[in-house]
Amino acid sequence: MGLLKWFSDSRPAVRRLPAGSFTVDRHGNVMTANVSSTFPAGPLAEIAREVLALFREARTSQMPLAEISLQFASLHITARDLQGGAIIFLSPQNVFANSPPDGTRL
Amino acid sequence: METTHKILVLDDDADWLDMSRDFLAQLPSKPEIRTVASGTRALTMLEAQPFRLFICDLRMPRMDGLQVLSIVRRRFPDLCTVVLTGLHDDEFRSRAYALGVDLFWIKSDMQHNPQMFLDCLESLLGREDAGGFRGVQSKSLVDLIRMECLSRSSSVLRITSGPLVAQLWIENGELVDAQVEGADGEAAFRRILKWKSGAFENLPADLGHTRTITKSVDALLLEAAQTDDLGGSPNPAKQAGHQQFVERLTALAYEGAEFVVSIPSNKQDEVESWAIQDTKKLVSWVRHVEKSAQRIGDNLNAGPLNYVAGHNLECRLLLLPQDGKTFVVGWPPAANAGRLLEQTKKLANTWAS
Repeated sequence: MGLLKWFSDSRPAVRRLPAGSFTVDRHGNVMTANVSSTFPAGPLAEIAREVLALFREARTSQMPLAEISLQFASLHITARDLQGGAIIFLSPQNVFANSPPDGTRL
Repeated sequence: METTHKILVLDDDADWLDMSRDFLAQLPSKPEIRTVASGTRALTMLEAQPFRLFICDLRMPRMDGLQVLSIVRRRFPDLCTVVLTGLHDDEFRSRAYALGVDLFWIKSDMQHNPQMFLDCLESLLGREDAGGFRGVQSKSLVDLIRMECLSRSSSVLRITSGPLVAQLWIENGELVDAQVEGADGEAAFRRILKWKSGAFENLPADLGHTRTITKSVDALLLEAAQTDDLGGSPNPAKQAGHQQFVERLTALAYEGAEFVVSIPSNKQDEVESWAIQDTKKLVSWVRHVEKSAQRIGDNLNAGPLNYVAGHNLECRLLLLPQDGKTFVVGWPPAANAGRLLEQTKKLANTWAS
């Protein structure tokens, strides 16, 4: 399958935001993911590391959290604690996606 | 004094840059046009000299337009930014606006309707950075109220500043009542005067509305100015502190929050807290969250952080960055999660005012 990538468009592209969910173990290893394979694994692992550190820091601050969500202007990241690991949901936000069918925008 | 604005155009296509230079030369204000072919070169030029407008393509090798724009928006917040791209994709349009760009335009649209694009650019070039109330540019709230009173008209002014809403009743040019959440009459008027920006609308007159303000507008404005500038009371600091104390207490109880902590970005500034004893660990965690969010946002070009929410069985937390501070508000677990952001914004505004 990797062969097909040789024939794919080689023009510069703008990186899309990741969409989907993935689970990580307590060491930050990505266990399962349904995020597009075109999205590089490095940034996913980086998100996982940051999220696990947030849960860990919250526990040491005597404020253990079951769920945390980071709401960026273009991306919502929601993470649920799974006994030291986490399941992380990535939802890109597109304000133009839900325009009414008649094309008018509020 | 008339100044010539400078425009910087970034695109990896040399032919397009040549065409842009000729096209932008048609702008009535005759700005100076500079072009660059790479993001790093654009950033260097922006560092070296002041530009008024930055026009950026999205699809470029090495550093794409969104990456460039996220850096530009952070380093040069006053620079007007325009995306001019061939990409017809609402996701990129949405992300560009989330990063704070002023205009997103498709290249083919520019070619089909060049005059409209030029008009938009000219408008951006001429835009002033002044504050003021939307609807009457460059006018302060005091100016607005004076205008209403001098015209001897009768109306109800509805003023909004963020989530805060106030109303002023004016009858035949006299201020008869003012209302804002938690206060009315002269106290409400004094509180409204502290608002620096917002929007207003004129509602139909409400003749016969109960009069609670007997002093003239000029007298009230003078009192407010004296309190601000000279200290109109024997111990203004103490009085202001007490008033702030009462306002915050009222807001906290009214919204049903469990605690509020205001954490300044500058570590040297004092952390303010309410209804929570030990804030040291919480503050340390919040600073960690901010750094993590900054790293994630920068890596993904996901735009600015709007807020962070978290919960466990005992508490719901909401972190709201606003005006150089982060407000952390604790809510009971049964609080309506859908309304927490709005309620937290209200509290943060009360806290900041």
